[in-house]
Amino acid sequence: MIEVSGLSKRYGAVQALRDVSFKVESGQIVGFLGANGAGKTTTMDIICGCIGADSGSARIAGYDIMEQPLEAKRRLGYLPDVAPLHGEMRVADYVSFAARLHKVPSTRVQQQVTETLERLSLGDVRNRLIGNLSKGYRQRVAFAQAIVHNPEVLVLDEPTEGLDPNQILHVRELIRSLAGQHTIILSSHILSEVQNTCDQIVIIHNGEVVQQGSVAELAGQLQAVRTYRLRVAQNVDQLIESLSTMGHVLSPRVVNSDSCELEFGFSKEANEQLLDDIARMVINGGYGLRGLAAQTRSLEDVFFHITH
Amino acid sequence: MNAVFTIAWRDIRATFASPKGCAIFFFFLGFMGVFFYNFLHTFVELTQRAPMFGGEAPTLEQLLRALFYNLHFILILVIPAVTMSSFSEERRNQTIRLLQTSPITATQIVLGKFLASAAVLALALACSAVYPLFIKVFGNPDGSLILTSYLGIFLLMCAQLAFGLWVSSMTTNQFMAFLFTMFGLFLLLILNWLAPSVNSGGLMETVLKYVASTDHLDMFFKGMLTVSDVTYFVCFAALFLFFTNVVLDSQRWR
Repeated sequence: MIEVSGLSKRYGAVQALRDVSFKVESGQIVGFLGANGAGKTTTMDIICGCIGADSGSARIAGYDIMEQPLEAKRRLGYLPDVAPLHGEMRVADYVSFAARLHKVPSTRVQQQVTETLERLSLGDVRNRLIGNLSKGYRQRVAFAQAIVHNPEVLVLDEPTEGLDPNQILHVRELIRSLAGQHTIILSSHILSEVQNTCDQIVIIHNGEVVQQGSVAELAGQLQAVRTYRLRVAQNVDQLIESLSTMGHVLSPRVVNSDSCELEFGFSKEANEQLLDDIARMVINGGYGLRGLAAQTRSLEDVFFHITH
Repeated sequence: MNAVFTIAWRDIRATFASPKGCAIFFFFLGFMGVFFYNFLHTFVELTQRAPMFGGEAPTLEQLLRALFYNLHFILILVIPAVTMSSFSEERRNQTIRLLQTSPITATQIVLGKFLASAAVLALALACSAVYPLFIKVFGNPDGSLILTSYLGIFLLMCAQLAFGLWVSSMTTNQFMAFLFTMFGLFLLLILNWLAPSVNSGGLMETVLKYVASTDHLDMFFKGMLTVSDVTYFVCFAALFLFFTNVVLDSQRWR
């Protein structure tokens, strides 16, 4: 449904995007994850045809956004990072303006606007000026603008940015409810958000795609690299040395030298037996075993790992 | 075409939803009223004095012409105020993205914006007709002169709006848009007087004088419609609308 291949973009001396490629199947929700300044908004702007790429292409439902912009944009709803709201307009007027711009037949504009406002619980404020609304309402009005024409593809740039926890839950539910009928790309720098709502994740860092796959796959990768935390009574440095010489033990390092804590990882090939060997070594070597625990890791760690 | 009207209608409503619309009408009609009063006063004085000193009394057509030439000056202040926000504000607020991601062409956006500002000013012009009509009711001027003058002013206004839109499309700062539009239009007005000092009697003088907006209004104000003058204003407007279109379209591939 969305096909992005080889996007590159340069702003003067800054290389904003470098060969970004990914694919989104119909009906999926894809999380586009990256730190601030990683190139998320640039990618989304290119996908939606706001700015051009130096090289590469983006296709929406088979239509190239540069070659056949009208066909592509007809199937597209975009919620930019800065909500494109006209403060002097009333909510219903604004949403119907967006509907008309997106070629909703004039006989159906009224009905679709009402439905969209109901869906986003904006019915109460439909006659209020957008400029007088609170941030949460404004965000929902911007959302209404993106979905009023029932687009096949929905591009959401940080949809929960600046909302309070209740509103975030509400927006998440909304995105979930849109899944299936719409193909959605959602950008965020908050992992939990992506983890909870998305089927697929694309991680972007410094303008490059560093990781992509389903949430389960990424979680599997995490399991592949198991880490453990070990606390002993004394001689940490010596223990590190002997750990380094063992096979399948990855990057042992001191976490806290005062409390004699250290951390190490297991390679994929290692089996659980290795843990026994290490425990035995600690006890027999007179280091004094104080604690040994498996580290549970979340997506945050992968993200941190990949982007540092 | 529908999209053009959708954009134009939103812009017209936005103009009148803010104090800007009222301010434009206030200053436009206010200035015009001041000038009208002044000119009428002078006119009456000269008419009364003429028999005493044996000179010729001024005609009503001269009074109207003075009024219309002054409109040109007022427009130089009003046009930038109307066009300055059309693109620069949308770009600053990022609302332009709504237009950019809609299935419409850059040409439709430009035409929509142009139509909106032309409609607002056409309404102001229509209101200003109260002054010439006043003369028409109480005097006996050439009626067709009023009509052709208004047509001339309307064409001039369209050309100036196109220029203003072009300037506005290139900046995100409304004040800069205002300033550059005003100076550009002012230059266009005085080009006529500058031309001889640039290249007296040469080709350059002819070209500059042709480009200047002033001379092209003379015929309209004398009650005559000439193809060359109409062509000048239409081409001027079309050229700058085309430039605006290029600026807007270039944002997609820049």
